[in-house]
Amino acid sequence: MTRDSPSLECVTAADGCVLKPGGCWCIDQLERLDDLLHSTPVPHDCRLKIDASGLTDLDSAGVMLVVNRLRAQGVVWSNVDLADFNAHQLDLIHLIAERLDARAQPRQQRSALLPLLGRKAAEQAQALVSQFVFFGRIVEAVVEVARRPRLLRLRELTTQLETVGLNALPIVMLMTFLIGVVFAFLLGVQVQKFGANIFIVDGVSLAVTRELAPLLTAILVAGRSGAAFTAQIGAMKVTEEIDAIATLGLSPIQVLVLPRLLAIIITLPLLTFVGDVMGVLGSSLVAHAQLDITYYTFFERLKSVLPASTVWFGLAKTPVFAAAIALIACRNGFAVQRDARSVGEYTTKTVVQSLVAVILIDSLFAIAFPEGGL
Amino acid sequence: MPSAGALLQVENLHTHLGGQWLHKGINFSVGRGEVVALIGGSGTGKSVLLRQCIGLTRPSQGKVWLFGEDLCALSSQQLNQVRSRYGVLFQEGALFSSMTVAENVAAPLQEHTRLPLKLRNELVAMKIRLAGLPMEAANKRPSELSGGMKKRAALARALALEPELLFLDEPTSGLDPISAREFDHLLRVLCDSLGLTAFMATHDLDTLWGMVDRVIVLYAGKVIANGPVNEVAQLDHHWIRAYFSAHSGRQ
Repeated sequence: MTRDSPSLECVTAADGCVLKPGGCWCIDQLERLDDLLHSTPVPHDCRLKIDASGLTDLDSAGVMLVVNRLRAQGVVWSNVDLADFNAHQLDLIHLIAERLDARAQPRQQRSALLPLLGRKAAEQAQALVSQFVFFGRIVEAVVEVARRPRLLRLRELTTQLETVGLNALPIVMLMTFLIGVVFAFLLGVQVQKFGANIFIVDGVSLAVTRELAPLLTAILVAGRSGAAFTAQIGAMKVTEEIDAIATLGLSPIQVLVLPRLLAIIITLPLLTFVGDVMGVLGSSLVAHAQLDITYYTFFERLKSVLPASTVWFGLAKTPVFAAAIALIACRNGFAVQRDARSVGEYTTKTVVQSLVAVILIDSLFAIAFPEGGL
Repeated sequence: MPSAGALLQVENLHTHLGGQWLHKGINFSVGRGEVVALIGGSGTGKSVLLRQCIGLTRPSQGKVWLFGEDLCALSSQQLNQVRSRYGVLFQEGALFSSMTVAENVAAPLQEHTRLPLKLRNELVAMKIRLAGLPMEAANKRPSELSGGMKKRAALARALALEPELLFLDEPTSGLDPISAREFDHLLRVLCDSLGLTAFMATHDLDTLWGMVDRVIVLYAGKVIANGPVNEVAQLDHHWIRAYFSAHSGRQ
């Protein structure tokens, strides 16, 4: 479609002034139109007439520009004569002039630093309070279930056990195995220097069972299941399913949070134990290949240097990790607002917060029990 | 070939969906300046047909001509060019939830034009006023708006690029009767004064009687009626009779 380029002429006569727009006054020419209107001075103290005989096309953007610019020059719009416009164009002009009349510029709200700081602080305090409230509601639900075990949703629990535990098994096995291999390889290089090959068993078994497997498994589960919890609960909040649960007389905490919390608390130690085994297996492989330690020697040595208490200590940390992950994930899920953006926002928050929490808890354990399980 | 003067023409359109034929040979056209409504029971494929007219999905067979161009034959670049010539009002508004109303309306302008910021803001303010929203709504997010205001904001966005053709999916659904009639009136005024052509899928009988030039009735995969409302309402077909008598109980 070829369009005539716009033009504007202003003819001043004795009885007033005639504006002659020509060509196409449409949105794709808006910038040129603005220039034209700026470069054409229109006297506002005499009668103004707009003659549309040269006009080929007009749309609402063009009308808006004429109305706004003429008004800015002090022209009273209702005093303007409109000549040679067709009926449609007149309708359009009247509609837009009338709508623009009641126009108020949108205010730009800019707040000062101090109120902003105060608001942020209040928000944080509110978030802290809501976290305590959420924690309290969960304790309440747990107490209730302990009193009436029939309230526990077994089907939901088994589904969650499967998705959190069973389905995570391959990735946990692979990751801990690889970490065992890498750790044993690097440690092997060091112990070889001292000719203390057999001590690789001591180092690897301690590191894997006490730190690496619990931490790695918790991180995997936080990224995998924690994010899923937030996204699931958040999506249910968006579609009002949580309100539906509440109106059925059920507690969303009972139905959604407890099964997830229990599932993750039950499965994380189990996954960690599998991780222990896979990590040690991986390092025994490296010990065999790199340091010529036979599997028999490796596991004989393992029996004598790895006390069960170390394994237990590593496993004992994991329910605490699990509880932290589930609480953070579920609370963020409930905090989701009813729009698409906030699901993603809170899922990200969950992953970051639960990773931080896991590592913080782990360091607390390390500080509190430096000799734990050794 | 499309007939002259038709902005939208659908020719022998078939759609295979979910193991069965949803549309079995649909023909109709919409001329410049017309306001046409598409009605039909739930599951007759109104929304699917609308999506095909917009070029979001392809029909299994048949052709859709939009502005005289065969939608199926266009490259994605040409399709995007055609897309800047029509506006769509989705059923739930489909406003971008992370943006304010003003940013929503500005989004198509930002993508398709290179206007300086000042002009763009002026245009956005005008469209928002044109859709009947107060200027205070401009800085609100969609989640802070009522259903009627959301529709109006979505309409302002659909009108941003001065489209020639407007597609509407259930424009009055979810509105109370008063807001629905106000919205109908607004649409009619805008169609008349902006010279818009409108094609809508609707369920609202009052919309049909109040503001529509022509009705197309979809039944069992075919167009069973196509004409002005008062003529279609007289037709002797069981579904049409049931449809138009569905509201008679309130008299």
